[in-house]
Amino acid sequence: MAPTTSKRAVKKPNSGAQLSDDKPLFGGYISNHIKTLKQTLHEQKRRPLAAFFTCSVIGIAIALPTLLALLLINIYQADLEWDGSSQITLFLTEKTATLEAAELANELQERGSISATKFIDKDKALAEFSALFELGDTLKHLEENPLPHSIIVTPAPQLDQLEKINRLKDSLVGLEQVENAQLDVVWVERLHSISTFLERSTWVLGIMLSFAVLLILGNTIRLAIENRKDEIVVLKLVGGTNAFVCRPFIYMGIFFGFGGALFALVLCTLVIAMLEAPLLELAQSYQSQFNLMGLSVESSLLILTLGSLLGWLGAWFAVRRHIDEIEPR
Amino acid sequence: MIEFINVGKRYEDGHEALQNVSLSMARGEMAFLTGHSGAGKSTLLKLIMLMERADRGQIMIGNQNLARIPRRQIAYFRRHIGVVFQDHRLLFDRTVFDNVALPLDVAGTPPREIAKRVRAALDKVGLLSKENLTPIQLSGGEQQRIGIARAVVNKPPILLADEPTGNLDPELSSEIMKLFSEFNQVGVTVLIATHDLDLISRLPFRVIELSQGHIITGAKSVAGVDA
Repeated sequence: MAPTTSKRAVKKPNSGAQLSDDKPLFGGYISNHIKTLKQTLHEQKRRPLAAFFTCSVIGIAIALPTLLALLLINIYQADLEWDGSSQITLFLTEKTATLEAAELANELQERGSISATKFIDKDKALAEFSALFELGDTLKHLEENPLPHSIIVTPAPQLDQLEKINRLKDSLVGLEQVENAQLDVVWVERLHSISTFLERSTWVLGIMLSFAVLLILGNTIRLAIENRKDEIVVLKLVGGTNAFVCRPFIYMGIFFGFGGALFALVLCTLVIAMLEAPLLELAQSYQSQFNLMGLSVESSLLILTLGSLLGWLGAWFAVRRHIDEIEPR
Repeated sequence: MIEFINVGKRYEDGHEALQNVSLSMARGEMAFLTGHSGAGKSTLLKLIMLMERADRGQIMIGNQNLARIPRRQIAYFRRHIGVVFQDHRLLFDRTVFDNVALPLDVAGTPPREIAKRVRAALDKVGLLSKENLTPIQLSGGEQQRIGIARAVVNKPPILLADEPTGNLDPELSSEIMKLFSEFNQVGVTVLIATHDLDLISRLPFRVIELSQGHIITGAKSVAGVDA
């Protein structure tokens, strides 16, 4: 610009009135974030019902995979208990005498690969059987006890793989007195395949519903941007950067994500409370020491973080897509 | 302070808004931009604000060539220009104070400084007592003064106004103009687009007249240094 003397040169407004890029001061930056946060909360308080519905939709979407994951965790836990107590039942040959059988049980207990044995006398077994099935005197008509003596063998804890337990079983079958051995593994195996399937399902459902949350949030934020078009235009006119203009929407996304996650936690807690009693009853009928595992503090925090992260991401996508379109005209 | 060299602007629909416009305004000068509607007044202001980009020619504001300001720097550039609109463009869901504070908010000014400057600006336009009202509770003239307070709150070296008195009666209009000349007296470069010829004729400022995208009169500073 050519040097010009001003017609009514008085004092300068901005010392030097030089056009330059002044960056925001750090203190102002922090206080702006705090202000935006307050504004976001205040805005949602003004329309509590709308905020509640948005959070509950997101909450349900987060709760579904969470519940499935919880189910999975509980199955794994049950599985572990099962593994710990996997047992081999040895049915002894008919000719084995009671004393001999008891001795064998004691002998086996000395082995390093076996942590415990329990000898079950065939007469006692019959009595138990009769009592359990309320057969009463029916069994008295039998000429002789059809049940063999049996020994329940609990493998040592270091036998943590099915293969090792199977090897133990084979060695036990080789014993002279043992007619047959049975390992309670079919259920463990079935449970394994069910849990693998459920794990897959959890991932698939989790990913799909995360996308749903992103879309819901994106749409909510898009509508909010649409509603505040005038404000965005004014902010841009007075020198608001895109980051500044976007900030309230990003906060809104995080708010909805966090609120949705909170809603999901409440929902999960309710569902667990509702299912706990019947589940424990079921577990007891299987004589299982089953404890329903709820959400731990760590996983609750993880869900809140993930929810907020999803909120941030959804808002970010919406904002990136739409803020640039709104320019002062 | 403001310099247009052979600037042309053509809109996408083919309309030639400005053709070969050359214009210069000195620092601390005040001028009116007139012309019938569609003559290119708003386009000229929009080019200065970087709301539009020129197709031809060069625009220098301060010592900056606008063509060299990238998109993401536009926000920072705009902080040096105060703008007043005919429709004020106030935010009706915020208080008068918050409206005036916007240019400081976006620049990250510390809260204490904001309060001080906003009250000074409101005091200047005579509306300090209304800081807690919302714009909707104010009259048209008052709303326009809030718009002016917002435009000057960060003490920009340049003040632009697009038909600032368009909706106001003559008495309020001259009050608004008086405010503008007061800012001009403390060194702000002021450019006001208006078609209120009656008002202009009563004021001693330079008049730049546009017609069909061309400057007819007033292209050079009255001081004539640039001639």
